[in-house]
Amino acid sequence: MNRKIPVALSRMAWLRRGRTRRGGRQFWLYLGLSSGALLFCWPFLWMISTSLESFEDAVTPGLGVWPASWHWENYLETWRSSPFPRYFLNTFIVAGTVSAAVALSATLAGYALVFLHFPGKKLAFMLAVGAMMVPFEAIFIPNFVLVTRLGWYNSLAALIISWCANGFSIFLMRQAFLAVPFEYYEAARLDGCGSLRFLFRVALPLVRPTLSVTAVFAFLGSYNALLWPLIVTADGSRRVVQVGLTVFTTESGVQLHLLMCAATIVMLPSVLLFLLAQRAVSDTMMATGVKG
Amino acid sequence: MSFRTVSEKYRERALAGVLLSPALLLLFIFTYFPMFIAFRMSLYGGRRGPGPWVGLDNYREALTSPDFWMALRVTAYYVLGIVPASLALGFAIAYGLHRVGPGRALLRTCFFIPYITSTVAAAMVWRALFNPRYGVANQLLSWIGLPPQRWLLESRGVLFLLTGGWIPADWGPSLALCCIILFDIWHLSGFMVVVFLAALQAMPRELEEAARLDGAGSVTLAIRIVLPAVRPTLLFLAVAGMCKTLQSFNSIYTLTQGSTVLPETQTLIYYAYAQFYEFGYWGYGSAVAVILTVLIIVLTALQFRMLDRGRSMS
Amino acid sequence: MSIRLSVILIAVSVLSLETACRRDRGSFLPVDPNAAVFWDRQDTQSAALMRGMVEEFNAQSRLLPIRWEHGGGYAEIFRKVSAGIQAGLLPAMAVSYESMTSEYIAAGAAVPLDRWIHDPQVGLTEKDLSDFFPATLECNRYALHGNRMYSFPLAKSVLVMYCNREVMRCAGIQKAPETWTDFLEACRTIHQATGKAALAAVPDCSTFSGMVFSMGGEVYDGSRLQYDGPESLASFSLLEEMVREGLLSLAPPGTFDDNIALVRGDAAFVMRSSSSRTYLLKMAGEKGATLLDIVPIPQKNPRRPATVLFGPNVTIFPVPEPQQKAAWGFVRWFTQPEQAARWAVATGYLPVRRSALTHPLIRQNWDTWPPNRVPYDCLEFARSEPNVDGWQQVRVLVERALTEVMSGTRTAREVAEWLQREGTRALKRATQAEGRPGRDDRNST
Repeated sequence: MNRKIPVALSRMAWLRRGRTRRGGRQFWLYLGLSSGALLFCWPFLWMISTSLESFEDAVTPGLGVWPASWHWENYLETWRSSPFPRYFLNTFIVAGTVSAAVALSATLAGYALVFLHFPGKKLAFMLAVGAMMVPFEAIFIPNFVLVTRLGWYNSLAALIISWCANGFSIFLMRQAFLAVPFEYYEAARLDGCGSLRFLFRVALPLVRPTLSVTAVFAFLGSYNALLWPLIVTADGSRRVVQVGLTVFTTESGVQLHLLMCAATIVMLPSVLLFLLAQRAVSDTMMATGVKG
Repeated sequence: MSFRTVSEKYRERALAGVLLSPALLLLFIFTYFPMFIAFRMSLYGGRRGPGPWVGLDNYREALTSPDFWMALRVTAYYVLGIVPASLALGFAIAYGLHRVGPGRALLRTCFFIPYITSTVAAAMVWRALFNPRYGVANQLLSWIGLPPQRWLLESRGVLFLLTGGWIPADWGPSLALCCIILFDIWHLSGFMVVVFLAALQAMPRELEEAARLDGAGSVTLAIRIVLPAVRPTLLFLAVAGMCKTLQSFNSIYTLTQGSTVLPETQTLIYYAYAQFYEFGYWGYGSAVAVILTVLIIVLTALQFRMLDRGRSMS
Repeated sequence: MSIRLSVILIAVSVLSLETACRRDRGSFLPVDPNAAVFWDRQDTQSAALMRGMVEEFNAQSRLLPIRWEHGGGYAEIFRKVSAGIQAGLLPAMAVSYESMTSEYIAAGAAVPLDRWIHDPQVGLTEKDLSDFFPATLECNRYALHGNRMYSFPLAKSVLVMYCNREVMRCAGIQKAPETWTDFLEACRTIHQATGKAALAAVPDCSTFSGMVFSMGGEVYDGSRLQYDGPESLASFSLLEEMVREGLLSLAPPGTFDDNIALVRGDAAFVMRSSSSRTYLLKMAGEKGATLLDIVPIPQKNPRRPATVLFGPNVTIFPVPEPQQKAAWGFVRWFTQPEQAARWAVATGYLPVRRSALTHPLIRQNWDTWPPNRVPYDCLEFARSEPNVDGWQQVRVLVERALTEVMSGTRTAREVAEWLQREGTRALKRATQAEGRPGRDDRNST
């Protein structure tokens, strides 16, 4: 489908011309991107710096990101304020399971919606996508009633099972599979390759970046949820880390430095996870070298 | 398709059933069934729990209530303010990241951080920024000689303030809403960057290089070649961004500290929340939520019409 | 054919899910059958104390043990209970404001406490009852629901005025103003001397109620809102006037920017709950005790003072009797002078019984910092806000009205009229929705 441009001459001309201009362009690109990145990260930096300040400094208004004095003991105090190890364990169990389950259910559904022929395909797609149009606030109470009827109140099941599929992920995976040329599928089938084998051997490696994005989003969605876990759990042994953020607001003010400590503690794992996932994505890119 | 035999056809259908059932079953139980209950709830009156059957009265009440229309207008400003801007910003940043060499991983993380920063912490910073007394926003205004503003507390229209009162105060989005929109653009762009970047990475290299050899400039390249190539992703992000925005509750809740004071910053989902949870009108709140859901479905269908030129099959 | 089949299949599963979710109204299962669970909101420090006190109670009580659980903020607890009511699963008690309780009553999910109060075994004697500050009990009687007590106070707070002595000294003001006229004058003097806005304020419904009370008025007379009355109008006009002269700086609702302004010396006065003093002193650091002062809010007539009483209560839910009994037993124990004094000194809340005031701990607390005494004195004349159905929505309207007056976008008269109209409509809507058949037999359970 791409036009063939055979001319070696033009390539050389581009190289010659590009040397200097490309360097300049790259410089501006870097400058623009890094200043943008700084702007985007500012609240994050502010959070960390505030977490290290004393109470009086923390409530002093301002957007500086360099603490006036360093109070590492804040982290100790915060860590003691809630049973964080327990919370982290629960959170990782919940978010890890949800992430894996969502990735699986979305991959299977997305694949079927693109490559398989069956009646009611359009309806199935509409149902999958339609699910993401239902506002959570609207189904919150019925869902809670359902979960308690199922006997899942105050259990990790309530935090996991109802979140194992969502419209966003199915939709995202379907769009990624759409980008895989259908000719591959036909060729593979002609060669006698089974449909499932095609999915795991050919299609999945091709959509790996999107798959990891799906998994990361599912993980983050579960990791950052506060309200649902707070409502369906009854005691500390089933609680998740986000709950640890709720204990620093008094009726007369916020213990800002401790709140920011807790926010930093809670956020670090997800940043690390994102960095790791990103490495995995770009490594597979290098290795497979998607061919068009 | 000639290579397909009859038994293969049925095997394929069975396989499709098996692959789709986990997802659809879960969605049915935990999304569609509760939605059905919410719809049924919207047909009853009373407070906190089923009162008398009122039929479509709650819907009638909503559609004749000025507060509802106000919330609908706010929602329109909100979505129109956030989705196109964050799509454009997200694509621009993702394309820029796609073209840089070393350091991409670090930069990508930086741009994604807004999306993972806890909303509570992020909202604290933004509220500090817009603080009428101590905020940086007012300091900037005073440097360029403009009067200070009340930002998140300003219920008057931004157009009214910009034109010095030429345009009526209730036209267009309020300044408070604009502040929230800015926050959401910041928050959502990170999400868009990551998804766009994944799509760009999966894009065949040859496509770009061929066009570049043709002598296309960066901008032309981005718009003529790259954007069409990531069209499925664009559709996804437009639809997902719109759904997310229409359902966005946390950013408004945390930025305004849960005080439902200004109707000028109250989107439909917030209006439904306040009616349902705070004031206890379960039927009425559910009705508003159902209307919102229908609205989302209609808008999504329109977006599909416009953007989905996916492969035609069969 | 397959379409018809799937329709049938879906209908059957919806029906079966639906029956699974149905339950009898009015009966509630306890969250924990072996303990009386108490959903509370406390920050880290008071939570530690509360846990300790609960353990102490359990050690000496022969009732079911109390299990104290952090339930998030008020908004989250409200949602937890709302969802629990729907699912038929509730704790033994939860912390709640009057407006929250009246919602629970409407759903048939609050227990009238009169029975426990008069219980021969665990109840309170007449002497005990007269020991309570009347207003602390009065606000827990719900006039629209048979005038019964559906909630009970653990500890309370009152609206007071905090002053920054340094700013006052800069303007040459020796004594905090006692009347609203003096207050306005003091604000003008401070503004002239320092260029600062003298009062920092968040738009808050309870604070406004306190203002109206101190002007000698009411916000609700038992049947009708009074926002168009002279006292309410005077309060709005005072705020309007202060804004016009630059004497008032508006802090965003839900924030504590006013407290920050006070401690930093950007404002001389702040009107806040008496329980804020712990936080304010901590924020001011070492100099706090000399920098800050507490006085009653200004009055129209200092001889007949008034202020607003607020702070949370607890509601007990219709779970099995042993659970209710344990919950009530804890409430009774907690309000006794010994416990109340300890809690008051540590958290800044006020005890609800007079006899607690003679406790050595409290006397000591007054001696360490004399302004600590002021909130206790205010208890005698503090009144609570109305607890009618729909008040929650009125609160939001009041805060919108305050925001507009305090930003100078609308005049006092406009806002008062608007508030009276919209507030009346909100209350009417709530009572209309309430007035449905079958309500009374649900409430009598």
